[in-house]
Amino acid sequence: MTNINSIESQSGSSAMDRVKQVFRMDAIGILIALIVLCAAITIVAPHFLSGYNLTVLTRQASFVGLIALGQTLVLLIGGIDLSVGANSALSAVVGALLLTMYGVNPYLVIPLTMAFGMFLGLINGAIIANMRLSPFIVTLATWEIFAGLNLVITEGYPVRPLGAEFNWFGQASILGLPIPVLTFLLVAVILTWALGYTRFGRNIYSIGGNRTAAILVGIRVARVELFVYGISGMLAALAGILYASRMDSAQPSVGEAWLMPAITAAIIGGTSLSGGQGTIVGTVLGTLLMAALSNGMSLLNVSGFWERVVVGGVVLIAVLIDFIRRRR
Amino acid sequence: MSDIPALEVHGVSKKFGNAHALRDVSLTLRKGEVHSVIGENGAGKSTLMGIICGRLQPDTGTLQRDGKQVRFASPREAQSSGIAIAPQELNVLPMLSVAENIMIGAQPRGTFGISWSETRKLAEQFLHEIDEDIDTSTPMGELSAAHQQLVQIARATASHADVLIFDEPTAMLTDREAEKLFLFIARFKQRGGSVLYVSHRLNEILELSDSISVLRDGELVAQIDPAEATKEKMVNLMAGREVKSLHISGLRKQNNDQRETVLSVQNLTRKGEFEDISFDLRKGEILAISGLIGSGRTELGKCLFGLQPPDSGKVLINGREVVHSSPSDAIQNGLIYLPEERKKEGLFPLLSVAENICIASLDRFKGLFGLRQGAMVKRSAPYFSSMKLKAADPSIPISTLSGGNQQKAIIARWLMKECDILILDEPTRGIDVNAKFEIQALLTELTDKGLSIVFISSELQEVLDVSDRILVMHEGKMKGLVETNSVTQERLLQIAMT
Ligand SMILES: Nc1ncnc2c1ncn2[C@@H]1O[C@H](COP(=O)(O)OP(=O)(O)OP(=O)(O)O)[C@@H](O)[C@H]1O
Ligand SMILES: [Mg+2]
Repeated sequence: MTNINSIESQSGSSAMDRVKQVFRMDAIGILIALIVLCAAITIVAPHFLSGYNLTVLTRQASFVGLIALGQTLVLLIGGIDLSVGANSALSAVVGALLLTMYGVNPYLVIPLTMAFGMFLGLINGAIIANMRLSPFIVTLATWEIFAGLNLVITEGYPVRPLGAEFNWFGQASILGLPIPVLTFLLVAVILTWALGYTRFGRNIYSIGGNRTAAILVGIRVARVELFVYGISGMLAALAGILYASRMDSAQPSVGEAWLMPAITAAIIGGTSLSGGQGTIVGTVLGTLLMAALSNGMSLLNVSGFWERVVVGGVVLIAVLIDFIRRRR
Repeated sequence: MSDIPALEVHGVSKKFGNAHALRDVSLTLRKGEVHSVIGENGAGKSTLMGIICGRLQPDTGTLQRDGKQVRFASPREAQSSGIAIAPQELNVLPMLSVAENIMIGAQPRGTFGISWSETRKLAEQFLHEIDEDIDTSTPMGELSAAHQQLVQIARATASHADVLIFDEPTAMLTDREAEKLFLFIARFKQRGGSVLYVSHRLNEILELSDSISVLRDGELVAQIDPAEATKEKMVNLMAGREVKSLHISGLRKQNNDQRETVLSVQNLTRKGEFEDISFDLRKGEILAISGLIGSGRTELGKCLFGLQPPDSGKVLINGREVVHSSPSDAIQNGLIYLPEERKKEGLFPLLSVAENICIASLDRFKGLFGLRQGAMVKRSAPYFSSMKLKAADPSIPISTLSGGNQQKAIIARWLMKECDILILDEPTRGIDVNAKFEIQALLTELTDKGLSIVFISSELQEVLDVSDRILVMHEGKMKGLVETNSVTQERLLQIAMT
């Protein structure tokens, strides 16, 4: 099945088998799609591959990507978190206020914001895990609540300016990589490891695969679920505050546009909506594919209206490829 | 009865990846006969039935129905040609009523859409041919696994098929329900219907069959006449070699009286499920719980495991009172429960066989950089041979194993997790005769090392074979606690009924 999900075979397999195995990996379809897409865009718009453009592209991808990573965990346990976009915005505003109104040290603001976002996520998790309510309904409700609270606090006005020291996080680069991109990759690596090599991660796959059986093997299902929503909330807040730092402004409306692309990235990356199946690698590639698509279209001056049609089409194609691959 | 067979299978082969599940199998089902197909776990029985009922497509080979060549692209096509199956695994709609589960897709219509009263009436008619006790208005999910199995059989009969396929229908049934099913099969035969019957219970194969086909490793190795068949002969044909003993009885030591009590259950009650249950489980003992469906055995096991709280009563482990509010509490106290319904309660279908075995013992695979996946494969390997678990590779998804082999993996899961008290609920369900013997022997060996087992089984012979003492339950009440070597099957039924 998936490369991470399955355990490496001990039996000596030939090189040919290895090659075949690679082609059966879940992420391979999307990797090929990504390469083809990038090649196609480069042919029509050669500056697609310029260092500047790639920096813009990946930085843009990293905000949605952080949310998509959290969403992947939630989808893996068979849930969904619709409140992430609103969480990003509310947490960013709270973080920005800590900085501007209360003069909190910029280095402290980021962890505090993440803690706040995690708290919001834990609220979701506590309700869903302990009362066995539908995650769709619970997070739909908290989405509204978070978004509403945000407007109550800000009355719709952005919180700015945030100051050069703080903006470093969103604007600077290390070794040529923007900090948000580094953060995204770091989180992806940690989660890949956690899903493949910790009990917490294996429990996530078990719960999504068969919740009843997970309870019966002694997994503390409610606790795992609680933490998964907490992590999702924490990553949403991280995306929100990094974006605020990048823009020198925490805008109440930011994040609203992140929810669907994040879910989409996870799904074209091979994460199943019914739980138990999916990988972080897939989600990272899915995020990059979505970002390349939207970046490519703006390079080619395609109207934003058409962009949505194309994105929808790409999702359908990805799902179809997956369907055909699994039937074989 | 005409001479044209109801169904002919010609040279059917089927491969999954590189593994042959079926190789050039041919078989003839005459009208009005019960044709049994037997074989060890993974021999290809369910695959063959899947092809006949349109769930799977053969790679090569053909099917003939009443003398005409047919191809079933889907189960629906097979059904419209009069072939229906009651599959090995439960496959039901838990939220819908029993009636709707039986009539799904064929609900009768009235003036305003579906006529529910008519639906219920028809469903009752079909169900009561097999079991009179089940109420058709209950939601399916509230029934016990055995009753769900019966409803699933009724659903097959409701399709007006004249070829019925039963894939291990009695695996979860007690003798009483099984008898009723056999009576139904006899009536069905008389009406001219034909039956393909798969089971690991050789007694019933001998009792029911008009012909017997034996599969081994995907090949049809023999057709035997039931009049000349014996259990030994069937077992040898299935295994492809001489199998020595099949009964473990005699292996048990009987001097348990002096041993200390590890689990003490005192007046345990859960309203509507079981009441006032008291027993002591001694160290190294196998205590069987016997009783008909609805006797509250499974509920008792689940309650001890912390899945549902008791209303009153006490549980002591090693003399200390314990309260289990979740399975993880119970596991920490060294008590483990193996659930009866593997698909719903045991399997992680997307995970590998190795990981399904190791999932309850993950703390043992902690390494410097997290879980050591390679170690899981290595540590689960011994169970493959000791339990005769047949799998191409430990890293394939468990859902590609045959039903019996899945069950072995789940037993292995709990054997790997070390514990003091093991509650096994129908552990050998779907496991072939030969492997069953191995597993019973293995359990006996473990009790010598100090493991204590509560063994729930619907099969009386098995209860008598493996246990030291037997607790008899009926409709939630404890009817007696007897020494195994002092009772017979008849006596056990008597105790239950009085
Ligand atoms: N979907 C599948 N993918 C891969 N292999 C499969 C699949 N289904 C069955 N097999 C393999 O085909 C073989 C035959 O399986 P089958 O389920 O027919 O056995 P069976 O005789 O019904 O055994 P049991 O008594 O355990 O039910 C097994 O080796 C099994 O692993
Ligand atoms: Mg089978």
